[in-house]
Amino acid sequence: MTAPGPAGPISPAASPAAPAETAGRTLDRLASERATGALHGCAGALYLADGAVVHAESPAVPDLGRRLTARGRLSPQAWEEAVAEGGPGYRAGSLLVERGRLSRGELELCHLSALFDAAYFVLSPLDPAQRAPDRFLGEARHWLGPIRPVPVPLLRREVVRRRRLLERAWPRPEVDAAPVVRTCGGERAGPAGAGGRRAVLAAADGVRTPVQIARALGRSAFATLFDVRRLAAAGLVRTPCADAPAAPGPPPPAALELSLLYRIRDALEAL
Amino acid sequence: MTGIDGCLAEAMTIPGARGASLVDWTSGLALGEAGEGPGRDHESAAADTAELARLAFENSAFTGATARTGPVEDLIVTARGSYHLVRFVETDFDSSVFLYLWLDRAEANLAVALFRLKGLTERLVLA
Repeated sequence: MTAPGPAGPISPAASPAAPAETAGRTLDRLASERATGALHGCAGALYLADGAVVHAESPAVPDLGRRLTARGRLSPQAWEEAVAEGGPGYRAGSLLVERGRLSRGELELCHLSALFDAAYFVLSPLDPAQRAPDRFLGEARHWLGPIRPVPVPLLRREVVRRRRLLERAWPRPEVDAAPVVRTCGGERAGPAGAGGRRAVLAAADGVRTPVQIARALGRSAFATLFDVRRLAAAGLVRTPCADAPAAPGPPPPAALELSLLYRIRDALEAL
Repeated sequence: MTGIDGCLAEAMTIPGARGASLVDWTSGLALGEAGEGPGRDHESAAADTAELARLAFENSAFTGATARTGPVEDLIVTARGSYHLVRFVETDFDSSVFLYLWLDRAEANLAVALFRLKGLTERLVLA
């Protein structure tokens, strides 16, 4: 539900090699122009108002409604009612607070979590071959309405921080997009770990990918990815085809020692 | 209380408060801040405090220690000259947020501060 406005590619030479960098530069420019509208790409959209990010959505990420209804905080009816009545006036979010369905704090916390989660996957797509978001629909607004705007520099720093966290946890991204399954160790681990990570371990059934696990749990997709990487590092989950060789090409020198350790571990597990 | 900013403004009225922030501990992102940050930087303090919070929150040694199991509620760090308090926010939807408070040890009362923090985090998510 967006207002009409001029549309079209704004960076004709978007390089598929570095979607995050290209999109980052576009965002910086939109922020400096105090732009209002939506920046669309294959992996989702970022909504801006006066140069700040007010909303983000990505098919990889459970949206605000899914998060609020997954554990029964709101009934699906209460959510749909707010969307139907508040949406046309671009104020579905604040309507939930006015009607006493949510506190202002709950709306802000849940929406910020969804916003940063979706923004991560828009700017750092699971499929690195995907094009950077490059279509800007001027004056487009989201039906939720502004809740707590996020400055572009803060959003960009957070995306970098999240990418580093994933790399530090387990530097092999193949567990991000493939179905994950518990290893023998993961089956035995039982109630080890706590809260979200335990739920993610229990949901690793060899069919669902991390993003599908996140949707089933109504949980942040980034947090789920982070859990999966840490579970993989602890040897509790693996991809069903973990025996396949890792990404082709020589590993960077810094990763040599680590990759040797992985090979030894894989070999020991295969015994 | 009106949302994150209202919660932080109230936190700053706790005796001895030097700075407060609401932090997502999955990544260490400061969602809002008030007053000073330790080292004059809320953002790096949030990332550092989140590491500690994640370790404590996810460790079953703390959560399963007694028959009454449940999540970790507070973390208290005492240092020469200051207290650093972390109060986890409980929500009925998926979240990983804590309220962080930096206190001047000479002016603060630890029991009062903990009591006030508990009330603040409860009212933040009370419709």
